[in-house]
Amino acid sequence: MRTTYRVLAFVICGLVMLQAASHAWLSSGLAIYIGEGGTLDPNAPPAFPEALGFMIHGMNGMYVIPVVAILLLVVSFFAKVPRGVMWAVVVLVLVALQVTLGILGHEMSALAFLHGLNALLLFGAALLAGMRAKAPARVAAEAPRTSVGVG
Amino acid sequence: MRPTRRSRAGRIGRVLAGLVALAALVAVGTMWWSSLRPATYSALAMGVPDTGDGTTSADADHGHGVGDDGDGPDASAVPVTELVADPLRVPDVHVELVARAESVTLPSGESFDGITLNAVTPGPEIRLRQGQLVEVVLVNESVAGGATLHWHGVDVPAAMDGVAGVTQDAVLPGERFAYRFVAEDAGSYWYHSHQVSHEQVVAGMFGALIVEPVEPGGADGPDGADEPGDPDEPDEPGGTASDAVALLHTYPGTSRTLNGTAGEVRHEAGPGDAVRVRVANTDSTPTAVWVSGGPFRVLAVDGTELHGPTPLERQRLQVSAGGRIDLEVTVPASGAVRVQALGVSLLVGPADAEAPTVPAPAELVDLLHYGTLAPLGFDPTRPDRSFAYDIGRAPGFLAGVPGIWWTINGRMGDDVPMYMVREGDVVEMRITNGSGEVHPMHLHGHHVVVLARDGVAATGSPWWVDSLDVGHGESYDVAFVADNPGIWMDHCHTLPHAVEGLVTHLMYEGVTTPFLLGRGSGNEPE
Repeated sequence: MRTTYRVLAFVICGLVMLQAASHAWLSSGLAIYIGEGGTLDPNAPPAFPEALGFMIHGMNGMYVIPVVAILLLVVSFFAKVPRGVMWAVVVLVLVALQVTLGILGHEMSALAFLHGLNALLLFGAALLAGMRAKAPARVAAEAPRTSVGVG
Repeated sequence: MRPTRRSRAGRIGRVLAGLVALAALVAVGTMWWSSLRPATYSALAMGVPDTGDGTTSADADHGHGVGDDGDGPDASAVPVTELVADPLRVPDVHVELVARAESVTLPSGESFDGITLNAVTPGPEIRLRQGQLVEVVLVNESVAGGATLHWHGVDVPAAMDGVAGVTQDAVLPGERFAYRFVAEDAGSYWYHSHQVSHEQVVAGMFGALIVEPVEPGGADGPDGADEPGDPDEPDEPGGTASDAVALLHTYPGTSRTLNGTAGEVRHEAGPGDAVRVRVANTDSTPTAVWVSGGPFRVLAVDGTELHGPTPLERQRLQVSAGGRIDLEVTVPASGAVRVQALGVSLLVGPADAEAPTVPAPAELVDLLHYGTLAPLGFDPTRPDRSFAYDIGRAPGFLAGVPGIWWTINGRMGDDVPMYMVREGDVVEMRITNGSGEVHPMHLHGHHVVVLARDGVAATGSPWWVDSLDVGHGESYDVAFVADNPGIWMDHCHTLPHAVEGLVTHLMYEGVTTPFLLGRGSGNEPE
């Protein structure tokens, strides 16, 4: 369970990196496309390959990351990571905030700015959560073993 | 002692967490279960009746959409199929449109899997004179899954509205359907499929519908009515010398086009000519148009003439998704004028004349204060019905599918309000949007007049719309007279948003529909 917790936390880190990368990729493609006179409509698939970044960013951010964050919280109750539940809650709250900022940022660009900052907070929280699941792991993992041996 | 207590506390904690998780699971499961829809269902069951007098939803007496309020059983209800134009009248204009799924190649060389009407996209322009009865026969040659035609902005009789599953069944390959209606109001309109519309419209199943007024000018005095005998000059709506249509559309995998052509399109006119440019935004996002090379006036919005339009310069105009704006431009003594939108433009002038291409002006024309006041024709201050249409976004289930969906008054799916009216009611609606995105709201079968935005009253010409952009954080007070009985969609014209739940209906009491929605029905209007 502890390993699962650790893996899930680091998976969130990886997915947040993918979010940053996909958005930078599509921004570049979008700028080039518009610079060449292109226009886009959300109903029609845009005519530049980097537009795939929209889909990656949207699906990953609105569905994949929230699901992993919920799984992390569920696992945290069984993983016996010191303050593991608290960190899983922090991660989930930051994810919820991040989705909200992302959605509202479509029309209020200042929130998109915060969306970028919050991404780093989320990355940090997930990284900390994953690292916490490592260091005390051996100590704690040995403890139940001995108690089982004694009992 | 201590470890035992701690482990016991831990065990209790885990049990509690497990119970909370179970409760959450049951709650989510119930939400999912209740969002499921049967294989077929009626539009009458697609919402919770809102009577607009404060007694909404569940407290209404088990309303099933129609016939309640003590009106008696549904047996007296009129099926939507009976709401037609005079069936005995011989059509003045007959048009046949053959819909075909085929590969389309644009003049720019780009190609995509599209839908054509009579082998072209945009489909043929239908031009009528006010008062004419038109019959348009849609023949579906090969559009898999069926198709329909909706007359966007025309207040047609309900049976002719073209909404698959509400006013008719989708016209399957090999079938045909005749639309008949009287072009009662002059103006610029467009038509498009309302079956799987988020795919069929973008693929090319749309075209322009223009209704020219019987009285040219309108300001010429009472004897203007003597003019219609002159068939040689059909191109004088609003008294302008000529008339151009500019359909803005983005096909799959392409940039924006104007009348199907990317870049510049020319419309020939002589120096001094005033030209009415009928801009229609057939895309799913609001866009903007602006003019270089001379001033312009906004003659009409969504098919309705504005009162007292003044000349404008260096301003851009927002065109709602599905909306139409009629501009008047005048060709200068030398050169030309250019009506621009992002990526495309219409050059109006002599054959070899040029006009500069300019970036979009920062200043936006505010139609709330453009033109001069005029009577509305009804009194909106004492409405019979008062509705709220509050757009939001929340996680949940839509027909069993988890996602972050649009909500209306905090509800989604089948729980959205269904606005109940009676014929003759004066209806007031406040549309608000806290969803984070702009929504071009489109009410079928009616035009609504904008009374106020964010509490600021309209001071310009009566601003009648059928497609209204409601931005995030905005609130619009609109009003209309319920004068066209039927079952009318009231949805977002960013067509994928309708798929994502931003759709409901305006229901007339005593009207019912025999048609069905749902995966087993073959009808999918969104």
